[in-house]
Amino acid sequence: MKKKSLTPYFFVGPHLILFIVFILLPTLYGIYASFTQWNLINDPVWVGLANYKTILFDAESTFYTQFMNGLKNTLIFVVLSVPILIVIPLMIAVSLEHKKVKMKNVIQSILYIPGLISISAAALIWSLIFNKQLGITNNVFGSETVWAANQPYAWLIIIVITVWGGVGGNMIIYRASISGVSKDLYESAEMDGAGPVRRFSSITLPSIRFPLIYTFVMTTAGAFNVFGQPLMMTDGGPRQSTTVLMMYIRQLAFGHGESIAGMASAMAVLLGLVILVISALQYYVMNRNAS
Amino acid sequence: MSNPVVHEANADTKLARSGPKKASTNISVSKYMAYTFLILLCVLWAIPVIFGITTSFRSQAEVVSSGFSLLPDNWIFDNYVTILQNTSTAPILRWLMNSVFIATMHTLLVIVVISITGYGYSRMNFKGRDTLFFTLLGISFFPGVVNLIPSYKIIDALGWVNTSWAMIIPGLAGMGNIFLVRQFMMGVPKDLDESARVDGAGDFRIYYSIILPLMKPVLIVCGLFSFTGSWNDFLWPVIVYTDVEKMPVTAGLLLLQDIYGNYRMIGQLMGSAILAIIPTLLLFLFAQKYFVQSINLNAGIKG
Repeated sequence: MKKKSLTPYFFVGPHLILFIVFILLPTLYGIYASFTQWNLINDPVWVGLANYKTILFDAESTFYTQFMNGLKNTLIFVVLSVPILIVIPLMIAVSLEHKKVKMKNVIQSILYIPGLISISAAALIWSLIFNKQLGITNNVFGSETVWAANQPYAWLIIIVITVWGGVGGNMIIYRASISGVSKDLYESAEMDGAGPVRRFSSITLPSIRFPLIYTFVMTTAGAFNVFGQPLMMTDGGPRQSTTVLMMYIRQLAFGHGESIAGMASAMAVLLGLVILVISALQYYVMNRNAS
Repeated sequence: MSNPVVHEANADTKLARSGPKKASTNISVSKYMAYTFLILLCVLWAIPVIFGITTSFRSQAEVVSSGFSLLPDNWIFDNYVTILQNTSTAPILRWLMNSVFIATMHTLLVIVVISITGYGYSRMNFKGRDTLFFTLLGISFFPGVVNLIPSYKIIDALGWVNTSWAMIIPGLAGMGNIFLVRQFMMGVPKDLDESARVDGAGDFRIYYSIILPLMKPVLIVCGLFSFTGSWNDFLWPVIVYTDVEKMPVTAGLLLLQDIYGNYRMIGQLMGSAILAIIPTLLLFLFAQKYFVQSINLNAGIKG
């Protein structure tokens, strides 16, 4: 009898250890480190709220400037990318559901494949496409500016590569959800004289409410963690106008010179809180409006 | 589904559709709109990949002189020869082998861990099982950015900096796949394992010979996403690897712009990017239906 009661721990135990070591412990330590001065080598020294005070209120400090600029740029990225990453996949899914459209799987694959390409490989190719001498910006559009080094083009190329790589996942979720909506609903709506727009807004949208909320929340949370696109495409420029928070956090903790991991941890906690609050708000508002 | 009202509605629509002409013009107008939109997107989406591939077969002189064009005048393989021969500053073969090792090991271990753990949380009865599961799930929703820096410290303490373990092991702690496996198993009837239990089979035996085969569909899906996720991971390897020999290919590509001189050796840059893409692309072509069906499963849960 006693032996039997131990067996479950052979099954959930190994993962539990992994979870404690690689998720629970680092998360708790990350919060603790945000209240310390830490260079990743010596033991952290407790400084209370000092890091947060500097980051949030000390306008003289470079950490304040970095955090505010990083947060601003991260927010710009979220606001520019998330709506497109919801709307375009939704439009694709609806178009693919059209009865008369053929070769659905081929189309779906072509649009999905960029999502399987790592940001570093994608960025090498896209940087060439946006290269002033050799790419399309000059040769096709006749633009004389270096796009990666001038606004608003720097944001434009970051958003382009993000959308290119990012529509596939949501597209498949929407397709699966839309194909699950009863065909009879559409047919009886059609009989009642409802046009395609009306059918979309009164049947499709309400029927895929949960996938919509889910993708909206997840896409937004993902966008707050943006790092690879600006690092590879613009290196944060011009004049740090595309340097996102994640880049400052990495730079402070792991960049050249002595690590400022305590300050970086405080920025990470603040970013984490922003993500949590916004996710909760989105979920709350959308769920309430929908019901 | 088979209630009479629905059938009646079906019959009515068939009549209606063969009747008025307006409905069918509407359908063909919307058909052309859908096609235009989809084809335009497909062209835009495919061009970068095709452009990357064809440019990797062009000489530098041709790239510079001909401006933007999709097909090379002369197909050459020199770029690939050059990058494959580089074994010091940008050892791309080494990087690819590192990535293959990391992604394969990670995927195999994910399958082992999530199937065993998923069995525990869906088929075994122990005190506080669901409380434990949902506590872990709740904690795992906390944004990962907070544990990034301490995770590095832990990897450092384990002596795993600049080793493949840094990328193979930490990801095994995640809850997402276990959630999917548990969800999947809740939809599988318990008849088989319960009758095996009556016959005297123990948990290990039931897990191995009954549950594991049943889990196959969900394990394939989780395995594919673990592989591509591990292959394409960028932030973590950029932090953990400084040793050029030990890097996976995603981190290696970050160094290339300097090594191949900020677009002065373009064919080499493109060739390297294409080599890094090929494995996941092949995986997708062979296992396409799982990639697509997978999220079906996902959406089924969320919706």
